[in-house]
Amino acid sequence: MGVEVPKIDFTKIEGRSKGYYVICLIWLIICVIGAYAYYLIWIHGDQLTGLNNQVPWGFGIAAVCYFIGASAGSLIVSALSGVFEKEEFKIFSRSAAFFAAAMIVAAMGAIFTDIGNPENSLNFLMHFNPTSIFSWNAFLYSSYFVVCVVYLLAQFEEKKFLTRCIAVFAVAWAVLVHSGTGGIIGFIYSNDFYHSPLTVPLFIISAIASGLGLLIPTYILTFKWTKREYDLDLFWTLTKIMGAMVIILLYCFIVEGFEKGYMPSSHEAFLRMITSPETPVPYVYWFGQIGLMLLALAIMLSPYRKTEKGIFVASLLVAIAVFCERYTLVVPGLSYPYEIFPGYEVVKPFHIVPYFPTWEEWAIVLGLLAGVYLAYCIGIKIFAILPEKAVKVEEVSKNE
Amino acid sequence: MISRRRFLLLTMAGATAIATGKAFEFKDEDGELSKYEWGMVIDVDKCTECVKSRGGFGARPPCIEECSKANNVPPDDKYYYDLIRIYEVREREDAEPLYFPVMCQECEHPGCVQVCLTKASYKRKDGIVVVDLHRCIGCRYCMIACPYNARRFLFEDPKEKLKVVNPEAPVRKHGVVMKCEFCVWKIDREREEGKEPKPVCVEACPYNALTFGNLKDPNSEVSKILRTSKVITLRANLGTNPKVKYKL
Repeated sequence: MGVEVPKIDFTKIEGRSKGYYVICLIWLIICVIGAYAYYLIWIHGDQLTGLNNQVPWGFGIAAVCYFIGASAGSLIVSALSGVFEKEEFKIFSRSAAFFAAAMIVAAMGAIFTDIGNPENSLNFLMHFNPTSIFSWNAFLYSSYFVVCVVYLLAQFEEKKFLTRCIAVFAVAWAVLVHSGTGGIIGFIYSNDFYHSPLTVPLFIISAIASGLGLLIPTYILTFKWTKREYDLDLFWTLTKIMGAMVIILLYCFIVEGFEKGYMPSSHEAFLRMITSPETPVPYVYWFGQIGLMLLALAIMLSPYRKTEKGIFVASLLVAIAVFCERYTLVVPGLSYPYEIFPGYEVVKPFHIVPYFPTWEEWAIVLGLLAGVYLAYCIGIKIFAILPEKAVKVEEVSKNE
Repeated sequence: MISRRRFLLLTMAGATAIATGKAFEFKDEDGELSKYEWGMVIDVDKCTECVKSRGGFGARPPCIEECSKANNVPPDDKYYYDLIRIYEVREREDAEPLYFPVMCQECEHPGCVQVCLTKASYKRKDGIVVVDLHRCIGCRYCMIACPYNARRFLFEDPKEKLKVVNPEAPVRKHGVVMKCEFCVWKIDREREEGKEPKPVCVEACPYNALTFGNLKDPNSEVSKILRTSKVITLRANLGTNPKVKYKL
């Protein structure tokens, strides 16, 4: 290694202030409400969700995709220093890896709370089905968690070469895991809205966008509240990466939209889905997904772009927009009935079934997210994962 | 006290016995089952006549009534659990309607089996796609993958709504997926008794619109119809190759 970088001091936070406990308590309360909602569903069955026999997947699966995405995105941020030699981002490498591990646990929690028969949930280990992408993912997710933890341990041990190797492996694994998740939806040939090879790369791009969208505000607040010195330029660089991802995402949406609109068999369905207010989909699509992304881009291009508030708001908007994207990926394809009788104009029953998540579904998803942040709050107290100073370290070249 | 060596030997012997026993059992059953390939032909004209005589769209003909009773399917207006769904189909707004009963199409390449996480959905040697209730984790991926929307998820406990329970058919709990299995419990019993097996809907139909039989047997009624009539397959372009055909 030709370039030697001054050692970064990672420290624990004190975590004894009133504010710290209040924040932890808020997360805990949301978690408890989520757990209670899940308990209700456990007892009374999935009738408490907004799902039905035409729309059997909804908020829960959107959350699975989102959490896995955020996890993969965080891991890629964590690996910026290790894999891409962006040494100035080394300060984030530990906490982002920790975040990634917490997110993948939340994703598995989202799967567990979504399935109808959790007593049987260990069956996927005993009866592995090689043709099911979801079945592979059960292994990919759990192994991915292990990879995150090992990567974190290697960083704690300050093993530079090992960290680097694991970082490369972890990024590859994150891409694989997330491609698999995209495949769960993109490979479903029976559903014209789902069936698209573009879904797989789209998932990875939105993963990076949502990972950054969650990490940037988290870091800004953490550094602010723990009174750490930080350099806004670092965040601006991350925001620029996020902006690039948002532009690619918007481009992909246009390609996807034109493709769906081009085929006569699906163009009517597609237009109806994104324009007719029978379901909440058009609002989520235009305001949530497209609108928020455009707004975030506008902030990133405005004179406020290099301000803390600008970066903070833009990131948060992207984080929400990507969740809306996951929702419009899962739900509209099911809301719109399949055309089982091609060639016949009038078919009954032909219900466009709107899907509204119930408070239980909201509570579970928010509870899982709160769980991630609770883990983060506890994590920065018991592990030395936050940098003492979040400033650009001057590279000291020492050519040996 | 049993010695360690003896314990190990006994364990091994036991395991071998179970393994070979199980292998024999499966082999035997599979051999018997692979003689059959169950299929169904639905005469759409007869179905149309029946549904029209009962007041048109929204009617519950005997096939649905009897199917739900025999297979422990709870009645429900919100979730519509019935395993057969009748579609009203017209060429144009002012055309005479046709009525298509759509149940599981028992595909040769079932998407649901392809995606099932736990192999709870599997295809038997006789071509029937079944759901193992004790293995199903209720992820509903099969419902997403089914091109015919033929699967139902139990959102609530069915036992409260069932008036009569058929002990021969599976009694399910909430959180699992169910589907038409060609009344597999009835078919297997009747096959063993040496009778001509028939699912409940086929027996219940007053118009003889449904014909069920072994596609591997060239002399079965189904095979004869398929040789001589024009039939269509739903969503044939997907390549799932259903074994339920519609005669127009």
